[in-house]
Amino acid sequence: MLELDRVSLPESSESLRHEVRGFLEEHRDLVGEPNSDFTTGYSPEFSRALGKRGWIGMTWPKAFGGGDRTFFDRYVITEELLAAGAPVSAHWIADRQSGPLLLRFGSEKQKQTYLPPITRGESFFSIGMSEPNTGSDLASVRTAAKKVDGGWVINGSKIWTTDAHRNHFLIALVRTSPAQGENRHVGLSQIVVDLRNDGAKVRPIRNMAGGEDFNEIVFEDVLVPDDRIVGEPGNGWKQVTSELSYERSGPERFLSAFRVLVEFVRLVGPNPLPHEAAVIGRASAHLMTLRKMSASVAGMLNEGKQVDVEASLVKELGNNFEKLLPEMTRLATSSARGAGTAWRSAYEQTQLLSPSFTLRGGTREILRGVIARGLGLR
Amino acid sequence: MSQTSGNQGMNEQLGIIIDTGNRIFADGVDKAVLDTAERGEFAQSLWDAVVATGFHVVGSADSGTGLTELFALLDVAGTHAAPLPLVETLLANAWFGAADDVSSIGILDGNWIVDVPWGRRARRVIGIRPDSGECVIVEQVDVVDQRVNLAGEPRDVVKVPGTARKSSTSNSSESAWSLLALGRAVQTGGVLSTVLDIALQYAGERAQFGRTLSKFQAIQHSLAVQAAEVAAARRAATGAVDAAGTTRFEAEVAAAKIRAGDAATVVGEAAHQALGAIGYTHEHRLHHFTRRAWAWRDEYGNEFDWQRKLGAMIAGDGADNVWSFITGR
Repeated sequence: MLELDRVSLPESSESLRHEVRGFLEEHRDLVGEPNSDFTTGYSPEFSRALGKRGWIGMTWPKAFGGGDRTFFDRYVITEELLAAGAPVSAHWIADRQSGPLLLRFGSEKQKQTYLPPITRGESFFSIGMSEPNTGSDLASVRTAAKKVDGGWVINGSKIWTTDAHRNHFLIALVRTSPAQGENRHVGLSQIVVDLRNDGAKVRPIRNMAGGEDFNEIVFEDVLVPDDRIVGEPGNGWKQVTSELSYERSGPERFLSAFRVLVEFVRLVGPNPLPHEAAVIGRASAHLMTLRKMSASVAGMLNEGKQVDVEASLVKELGNNFEKLLPEMTRLATSSARGAGTAWRSAYEQTQLLSPSFTLRGGTREILRGVIARGLGLR
Repeated sequence: MSQTSGNQGMNEQLGIIIDTGNRIFADGVDKAVLDTAERGEFAQSLWDAVVATGFHVVGSADSGTGLTELFALLDVAGTHAAPLPLVETLLANAWFGAADDVSSIGILDGNWIVDVPWGRRARRVIGIRPDSGECVIVEQVDVVDQRVNLAGEPRDVVKVPGTARKSSTSNSSESAWSLLALGRAVQTGGVLSTVLDIALQYAGERAQFGRTLSKFQAIQHSLAVQAAEVAAARRAATGAVDAAGTTRFEAEVAAAKIRAGDAATVVGEAAHQALGAIGYTHEHRLHHFTRRAWAWRDEYGNEFDWQRKLGAMIAGDGADNVWSFITGR
């Protein structure tokens, strides 16, 4: 059986909440229209303000601009920002996974080069995993980097790359040597691409919600210097899977629809009808539970434990919840009553984003496979 | 919410209670015992083993144990589907003084106390009102109707005699109803963990089309979903136990009871699907666990009752305070 540790947030982390809320109050002008989906608001100004406050890369060593804080502290900061609907997209990936990846596998020089600007909210990263013919089957990537004198030449393409058109760097998973027969996990490497200077072509892709945050990137003989390889050439598979654990357990996996709940409570007022109260109660029960589960994973991260299975549990349940919540509020609200309300616009926005919830960061099917492996079935 | 240690609240005594409980219930509960209990016969030798270890007073004053140990024992009992009114006996003993015989608790409804687990065997029955601490204590138990729940567990109707003592459970900082509901939520987490174990074991053994069920992706995904639901139900329950003694308790119990009920629905359905027709037979043990999970959803407030209660609390706080309600800060 998979059991999550009975861990709760320490008081020292809880006390950070009021600091974050004060910070958000202070920077109200930068928050704009609140949206709890972590991909929706992109504000370099807000990210810089957050960096100045010490809340980006806060678990990293001070030597690289970090704060040597715990994952509990980071958990509190991130969930407060998401619940408030703050625009966190610009620095999100760098803070959540690119930085930790570089910290764990990068060279001393890479850490010195890339990490401090991330913590200042000045350097933003994208994830270069999926390709036009590689979705869930990540080991099938075909983008290749070929060793030449003084560097690597990249050819191929990446797709669904969030914010590649405005971020600074991409960490691409590329093939640097052929698979060995059935073993496709060998010969993969991770390489940092400078999205603004290396000559990779970025083409925006409009999503069904009207947003243009993801992209296709084409590499045609893009030359990058030697010092851009992260870790040992050929170690990419191990690295990329460790990175995915950070990607799956955080509060962004269950808070994307949170504004819908807030606006539904506003809509129904302080004395809701029984079925309206029930919607609020059911949604909140799931949310309260998910927070406990995610905090348990933060505790495991603090202890340096492997969290891939537990993180997948949180994401599986969290994504289901993010889809259930808008649906419950919809059924409880007649079209006439909802028309023109803040609830209606939050609902519509979330409904349109919702297909992405169980796709991004690993599809539902992949996550269930990871859990099944944790249960000893594979 | 307080500490950060990976084994919060875990101490040596708690470990002993869990281990001993597992042994007693593993030894004393099998398919035959469950079938016998379902025919209305009390599992006397199991009860004797519980009394012999002093488990009937876990959580009572002077026992050196509190709610953490009480709920840990209920979790173990749920895991084994122990056919005893343990939630009721433990709480009645904690509230009104330890008795060595079976106590039970039901809902006070005029001159009757209804839904009394094993009322027919209880020497003391407490009738409580769901939304107040007001209650009656009946010591001459007269069962006027023998009923059972969906799991075949006795849920009797007891007459309130003129001699019944009026009392109150409001000396406890947690409401009686919340503690009872949490008892069922904790037991549900236990019983669902066994449902999952049964499904996992079956999938690993049963072969079809030349491979075990566990190798089929559809089955793997179903089991993954079950595991996630069980983990959620259990984490919600431990979270509520840890909130005992705080102002968060009522809300956390609501969350735990709702989450346990939702998990019971999903896991019960999926486990039966995984086991196929054999799991649908009376002969198989699965139904003793799934029927309890289903039945317990309705006891001490079903999901809808608790959803409304929790939702009303949150709505009353207003839209701009939803997040501070959720976080408790």
